[in-house]
This record gives sequence, structure tokens and C-alpha cells, in this order.
Amino acid sequence: MSIDRRKFLKGTATAGVAAAAGFPHIWIKNASLAYAAGGEIKVGVLYSLTGTTAIIETSLNHATIMAIEEINAAGGINGMKVVPVIEDPASDPATFAEKARRLVVGEKCVSVFGSYTSASRKAVLPVFEKYHNLYWYPTLYEGRECSTNVMYTGAVPNQQQKDLIPWLVKNFGKKFYLIGSNYIYPKEENNVCKILLKQLGGEVVGEEYVPLGHSEFSAVINKFKETQPNVIFSTVVGDSVVALHRQYKAAGLDPKKMPMASLTTSEDEVAAMGGEFAAGHFTSAPYFMSYDSPENHKFVEAFKKRWGKDKTTNFVSEPAYFQVHLFKQAVAKLGKGSITPADVRKAAWGQEYKAPEGLVKIDPKNSHTYLWPKIGEWQTSGQAKIIEESKEWVEPLPYWAYPGQVCTPDGMVEKKG
Amino acid sequence: MTSQRQALHRLGGYAAVCVLILLVPLFVSDGYLLNKFARYLVFGILSLALSLSWGYAGILNLGQAAGFGLGSYCMAMALKLRTIPIQTGAGGLPDFMVWNNVHTLPWFWQPFHSYAFALLAGIGVPVLVAFLIGWFVFRARVSGVYVAIITLAMLVVINLVIIDQQRYTGGFNGITDLTTFKVFGVEFGAYSVSTYYLAAVILTLLLFLGLALMNSKTGLILQAIRDDETRVRYFGYDVANYQNFIFCVSAGVAGLAGMLYTLVMEFASPTFLAVPISLSIVIWCAVGGRASLLGAALGAIVVTGVQGSLSDSKTFLDTWMLIMGALFIVVVLFLPNGLISIVDVIRDKRERRRLAAAAGAPRRTAVVAPSRSAAR
Repeated sequence: MSIDRRKFLKGTATAGVAAAAGFPHIWIKNASLAYAAGGEIKVGVLYSLTGTTAIIETSLNHATIMAIEEINAAGGINGMKVVPVIEDPASDPATFAEKARRLVVGEKCVSVFGSYTSASRKAVLPVFEKYHNLYWYPTLYEGRECSTNVMYTGAVPNQQQKDLIPWLVKNFGKKFYLIGSNYIYPKEENNVCKILLKQLGGEVVGEEYVPLGHSEFSAVINKFKETQPNVIFSTVVGDSVVALHRQYKAAGLDPKKMPMASLTTSEDEVAAMGGEFAAGHFTSAPYFMSYDSPENHKFVEAFKKRWGKDKTTNFVSEPAYFQVHLFKQAVAKLGKGSITPADVRKAAWGQEYKAPEGLVKIDPKNSHTYLWPKIGEWQTSGQAKIIEESKEWVEPLPYWAYPGQVCTPDGMVEKKG
Repeated sequence: MTSQRQALHRLGGYAAVCVLILLVPLFVSDGYLLNKFARYLVFGILSLALSLSWGYAGILNLGQAAGFGLGSYCMAMALKLRTIPIQTGAGGLPDFMVWNNVHTLPWFWQPFHSYAFALLAGIGVPVLVAFLIGWFVFRARVSGVYVAIITLAMLVVINLVIIDQQRYTGGFNGITDLTTFKVFGVEFGAYSVSTYYLAAVILTLLLFLGLALMNSKTGLILQAIRDDETRVRYFGYDVANYQNFIFCVSAGVAGLAGMLYTLVMEFASPTFLAVPISLSIVIWCAVGGRASLLGAALGAIVVTGVQGSLSDSKTFLDTWMLIMGALFIVVVLFLPNGLISIVDVIRDKRERRRLAAAAGAPRRTAVVAPSRSAAR
């Protein structure tokens, strides 16, 4: 029998070596360590530093770290230092879940700040639910979620659209073209947009979804020309935003007659495409870098000083920053004794903080956040000129479009009748 | 050294590794670590699957993750249908369907109410897809790099369809919020010992079954095809049939790994059948040793293990990808047959030394350092 001479014999030694290399964490430290032991409060920081969403998520990581440093420089929380455990989930949902497990179980963090995409939030949710930990999520998102293990500090559809749509109808007209990337966020935002338009007697002349990362918009732009909408309502995300704006301008369309109103274009996308391509278009968000408030001047200045002169702040990094301060206030309220994620959650309800965008508050009813929606018009400088701002903070209603459903502290409930 | 002795040694090596893997829960009781190791074992199974087709039959399948992802989705669909829908309240309809304004469960979701069907589908669907592709590819005598291109394209197509059909697949978010898999009264939770053992036992079985297959007549013909396809054809064998057979087996094993992965990760995502993971499998295989089932499996376990600990450590937070890249290059340059071939290299050196000593005049062995530390 001459089977395969080049085959190898395998001694047990190789197996041992390989197994030891494969399982370097068998001797993990302090598996039974309590939360906030030894005068330290451990928190997880879970934003991708590599991979497809690395650019935006790095800015979230930076904002979070900066807030933690500020808190520690001011003496920590009740004399305890906040210790960040930083992970790189590499823009991959599975890695997000793996790293979340390490933060929650391995490192015993009392809370984790993280995620940009909904997909990554959905991937870590089972971990937080299983171990009753707390996840702080700074991104604007589609709503319709009501986990008892998440604090949501980004905007939900009613906060971004309630003022925007009437304003657009009043200033430009009733014909809307809806364009978005093909995933749940744009679809849900468009559901809300259609309800609002119906109330105002508006009309949707086209609705289209392009694949994520799509960069060829000539067919779409031809449809703009054909249907002649008054407003192009855009929930296109990522690099596609850049392509869409450039091709819009190249096709000779005029933002004065047919502006794009976006929920997803921030200072970062505008910087990537160049201010001249964004000029004249609009974005609705609770925060713009150019917003004029003492808190924001301080925030922008500190951010540039810490991370570099060319860095921009945006409507995701601002909540990533202020949510750490909300966390701090919640923990401060708890005193020095035992700190569990459940305690933090309860203590966080109703907390107010003077954020760069204005005074924000965590709604005890649903763990979402009261915010200050604004409408900005992009300038060639790459900054937005704020032309409308809400007169009062706007309540978060994650189930706004679904009258039968309400988010409560115990999760989502159906209203009877 | 006789080949029989070699075969015995190999069996011993396989058995030793399997015993080690099965013993892990005796020393590790922490659910988080068990979960993490179970995840590495699943990657080991996946890498073994590629070794079957690439290492033994020379079919470089760059779309190996397709079977993996399909298996994962089959399992997730079955678990999703058993989840009490906390987000929606609608009667048995997965939450993401409600969000996408779907009102009735689509027909292809219906049979997933049965676990038996789901388990069969988790292996059967990948096999079916592989069979159809393989039928056209191998009948047409496509080989080498073109197989790689076609399989990669197939992967991208399946991935795009799943992302695009979010009404039925959960799109970009995948299928999340799943119940715990339970059969015969045993719960296979993500953090449980039972799930670890399930992965470990399946890996063990596959290692030995794979070995048996590759030492059977079919296995020998496959290896002959890898080495010289034309010659085997002239011997009168139906090369395409053999190739398609191993291509399907490999896809089925990947599907099995995918089902396990859903249990371990508690969700299914389109990233499970995306290009990055598919290419990672090739890397694991190459690093471990693609022409050895054990090598391929260990390659996956070692690479993902090192990757996990490097990216966890504060020191390497910014550089871990660079270090991984450097490691791959070193392995490929100096151990082209993978880490498992260390054993080979050492044995050859000893053999040469012994022969030289026997001949009385050591000629080239002067530079060879005695290697008493490794191998036995």
C-alpha cells in the first residue's frame, strides 16, 4: 500500500503546541471580578477601527475616549476612575458579537458604548440580553426597537422628519422622490415620510433603493429628470452619497429647484465629496458641527485639539460623546456601592445633560433620548448653515408610525383596541 | 520508514488532537470561553471542508462560504419560527417581515417549522447548489483558476440576492433574535458545554471520516485527479463525476459548519457568506496545510485564535492586522505546505541524519541542529 508518501506523521507534541496556541485564553484573569471593583469602573468601547465603516466609527471611538478622559481629568465618578476597554470589531457583525462577549463576560464591563450600523447592533443584542448588560447606541436609526438592554441616544424617524417634511413641502412643493440604500433604515424612514406626506397632501413620484456601496446613479438621475420632483428625499448612505451628489451636479440639475433632503449626509460625507457638490442641499439632524452654542464650541475645539486640526464632528459622534456624560451622571447618582448595569439603566432615566446640540434627556418611558432637530443647508465650505431649529426638544417615539405599539421600560407592548 | 507506520502515526496524531479538543471542557467551565472555542472549532470544520476539495482534489473553491452561509440561514430560519415574537406580536411572523410589510409566511419558510427538515436542508441546500454549479463546471472541463472565479461569482450572487430580498431574508441585518436549539431534551445554548461538545464531536467524526474517504479508492482517484487530471481521464475514469462528488461533499460539510455557527453566534448574517470570510478559509487552509485535514482544521483554529487574542490586546490594537499579514507571508514563504508540515520537515531531517550516520560520512548534515525539543 503506498498511500501518499508526502503525508506526515503527527506527533502528540505538535498537537499540544497547536492547542496551546489556539487557546491562549484558557488562563483568563479574574473571571469572577465584580463590576466596578478596586476603584475602577470598566466600560467597553466597541467601534470598528478597521474595515468598511472604519472612518465614521473611528470618529465615534475618538468622541467616546475624549469624554472618558474629560471625566477622569475631573476626578472620575465618586472618586472612581473610568477605564475604557477598547476593541476593534473590524466592521464585521460576527466579530462584534465576539468582542461584545469578551467585554461583557470576560472583562465585566458595566456598560458598553458601541455600534454604528443596525446590523452590528442586532448582532450584539443577544449578548446584552443574555447577560443583562447595557449597550449605549449613539446612531440615528429606524426605530421600532425597544430592548431593555439598550440606551438609544441617536435620533429616531419622528425626530428627524416631523419638522423637515412640512418645511420641505412649504418651501419647495409636494412632489417627492424617495431614494435610499437597500436596507431596513431607508425603508422605515420612507414609511414615515409617506405617512407625513399623506397628511400634508403630498405625493410620492418615485421610490427606489440602490444596493449598499452603489455608485452608478445615471439611471436614477434620468428618472429625476423625467418625474421632476420638487424634493429628492435621500436616505442613501456611505460612499454612495458622494457618487450621488457628484453625478447630480454633473447632470446639470439645480438644487434650487430640486434639492436633495437627506437624513444621512453629514460633515464627513460632504468632506469626502467636496463642498461644492453638497452646496444647496439639505440635511435634517439634531447636530451640526457649525451649530452656535458655547457647549459646541468647547466640544469642537477639544475634539480638534485631541485628535487633529482637520478632524470634523458630526451627528453621530456628538451623541457618542454626550452619552458617556449621561452614563457618568447615572453612575454618580448610584454612589460608591454596588453598580450593576440594571442600576445604571434605572439611574440614567430622566438624566439631563447640556450637550453640544442643546439640553438632552433620556426618556424614562422608552430609554430613547429627547433631542433638538435642526435643518442645515450645506455650503461650499463643507459646513452647514442652520436655517431652522426646533423651538423645543422633541420627544423620541420609536413606534411613531405604528399606533398600536408602544415602547415601555419592560419592552414593547401592544395597545389593545 | 514504511508507509504503514506513517499511516499509524497519522492516526495517532489525529486521535491525540481530538482527545485534547474533547478534554477542553474539563479545564474550562466559563461559558464565554467555551463559546469562543466552539466558534474556533466551527471554523476548523469549515476549513476542513475546503481541504477536502482544494487540498485533495485540487478544486480551489473561493465560494466555500456559500455553503456555510446557506447552512447558517437554514438553522436560523427554523429557530426564528420558534421564537416568541417579542418585537411584533404578530402571529408567528418573523419581526423583520412585519417591518417589510409582508403579511403571510412565504412558502419556502413553511417547511422550516420542522427541525428535521431544517437540519436536512442545512446540508441539502448547499449540496444542491454545489451540484448544479459543479455539473456545469466540471462537465465543461473547467479547471484551475476559472473554477475559483466561477465559485467566487456564485458566492457574490447568492450574497447579493440575500441582501436584496430583505423581505424574506432580513437583508443586511440577517436573521436575529433566535430561540435556543433544543432536541431530545438537550439545550444547545451558545454558551453551553453541550454546544461545545456538539462542535467537537462533529469535528472529530469529520476528521476520521474524511481520512477514511481519502484513503478509499475514491480518495486515491481524487488525489490522482489533483496531480494529473488528463492522465486519470485516459485511464477511463469519469473525472467530472469524481470532482462534482467531492465538491458536493465539501459544500455539505460547510453547510453543517454553518448550522453550528448559528448556534454559536445566535444569529445569521449575510456576512457569513461574504467574500472576506470565504477568502479567510483559503488562508486558514494554506497556513495549516491544505493537503491535510488535520492541518487545515488546526490552521483555522490557530489563525482565528491568534487573531482573536491579538486584536483583544491593547498593545496590538492598531497593528494586529499587520502582524497577521506578516505571519501569513512567513508561513507561505518558509512552510509552503503549511504549519502541519513542520512535522514533516523535522522527520526528514532526522531521517537524513540517520542515513548519513549509517553511511559513516555526514556530508550535508553539518548545519542541521538537533531537534530534540519538538515532535515526540
